[in-house]
Amino acid sequence: MISKRITALTMIFLVILATACGTASNANESEETVVLNIAYQYGLAYAPLIICRENELIEQEYEKLTGKQVTVTWTQMSSGADINTGIASGNLNVGFMGIAPALIGISNSVGYKIFTNLSGQEHGMMAHDESIKELKDLIGSSHQIALVNIGSIQHIILAKALVDNGYDAHALDSNIVAMKHPDGMNSVETNSISCHLTTNPYIYKERSNADLHELGEVKESWPADNSFIVGVCAEKLYSENPDLYKALCQAMDLAVDFVNSDVEATAEITCEYDGNTYESEAMYLAAGTYGTSTKGILELAQFMYEYGFIEKEISRYEDLTFENVAGD
Amino acid sequence: MLCIWETAAGLELLGPNSRLIFPSLEAVMEAFVRNFVKGYAGLTLWVYVGNSMLLLLEGMMTGVILAFLFSGLSMISSIFHAVYNLIISVFDLLPGVALLPVVIIVFGVKPGVIVFLVVHAVVWPMSRNLLDGFKAVTRIYVEAGENIGLHGMSLLLGIYLPASVSYIISGLKVGWARAWRGLISAEMIFGVAAMPGIGLFINQMRTNLKNAEMYATLLVIVIIGLVVQYGIFAPIENNTVKKWGMSK
Repeated sequence: MISKRITALTMIFLVILATACGTASNANESEETVVLNIAYQYGLAYAPLIICRENELIEQEYEKLTGKQVTVTWTQMSSGADINTGIASGNLNVGFMGIAPALIGISNSVGYKIFTNLSGQEHGMMAHDESIKELKDLIGSSHQIALVNIGSIQHIILAKALVDNGYDAHALDSNIVAMKHPDGMNSVETNSISCHLTTNPYIYKERSNADLHELGEVKESWPADNSFIVGVCAEKLYSENPDLYKALCQAMDLAVDFVNSDVEATAEITCEYDGNTYESEAMYLAAGTYGTSTKGILELAQFMYEYGFIEKEISRYEDLTFENVAGD
Repeated sequence: MLCIWETAAGLELLGPNSRLIFPSLEAVMEAFVRNFVKGYAGLTLWVYVGNSMLLLLEGMMTGVILAFLFSGLSMISSIFHAVYNLIISVFDLLPGVALLPVVIIVFGVKPGVIVFLVVHAVVWPMSRNLLDGFKAVTRIYVEAGENIGLHGMSLLLGIYLPASVSYIISGLKVGWARAWRGLISAEMIFGVAAMPGIGLFINQMRTNLKNAEMYATLLVIVIIGLVVQYGIFAPIENNTVKKWGMSK
């Protein structure tokens, strides 16, 4: 009986060991095959990535640079936290996520930096109850605010709007209900919840609902041209395969240029993935800001440190991004 | 298992970030204490555990009462039995979290939504076990009851329920496990900051890459599960079905 248990434990240990070794070497490239593992999330803020994937831009750029092939795997994940864990474990080389989880990852020394900005999107907070006109009407009340997650960029934007208007950054923390964007929209439209802090396309859908009105303080606190989604790259990939890193950056430049130069063509490709009609997809894409230069990320990092959203202070732009990234 | 964990963590098998994503037992135990002493954003883990247990208790009790009520009615009315059996077959297949959008629209955004999901997790397996237990009651017991004048509700309370205690306990155990898992899942997806539960705490730790704190919270979930299993269900089993020779 005891020997069986020892054998079973030994086998479990060997399986874990084998898995761990496999994981650690997963991101490495051999002479023949280079593999690039990329994770991203859902929504039209990620439109350049769909272009990049569908047009195989990374593969083409890498071949131009080296004459070799690269296999790119794309994984759609549900949160920035999952992508952070994936990169920390070495299973992912590149991830695209909201700026807040990216700053949390950098602050926790996951081993990546921002290699590109991807998009900026308008944010806003919509309310159903007529008595809610500004943030101060919510402070100390039992009104609930739906946003996508605690610690998400939407949560930080709410905290920033509070500070910008002279209130405590955490004054509305206990009013938050973490919900996905579509659930939040349904809830505020049916008056199941008082407010919904959201982004493109939900903010535009909600603005078209006559029963809802907007609290302007949130919109002003994080303009649409500020960074919203960024791309992060493992420092290991940056140092060990500069050609692949360069191909990645060039591909992102091309993808962003494609979106900016031809919104209609982009919408034709992305509308199916985002579940919108071609017309509405084109309208929502035109409302977003797509670019590779960051805006406002250092200020946001300092804000997050000052108000306890991250534990490590980040005081230099160079600590956040690789040297090729422009912006502030 | 603990030796394997510590060895894997000590050898840093997951690369340079091993300590971050797979912390040592010492780090997990420190985080365990920190969760209860310091917590997160001004709230200790006691608050989160208390809230979750409150919602769970409310949902479990409602679910069990409903299961007894509907299963009992099923034994009294054959039409109700046929309808209820179909309802169980349909709803037992639906994961609670998949119902979340509909539940929010119907019930609004409040902790009651979590209670509803716990009830959903408990009522169907509990009812299934109760009905199976009632069906398994030996015919001779039923006839003996009828001979002494029992029928309808008195037959249910006097014969069916005592004779199917092992099924009832089994149903409670299945219902508890599903309710516990359902509660944590629902809290991870639908976090009400005004009444934060363990699921929300895990989510907050994941978001902030505090993996030691996250593993320590999983440990709390396991400990609560063991306390319920060995502190509540085991004594009930020992003093009922085992004592009566209905189970080994």
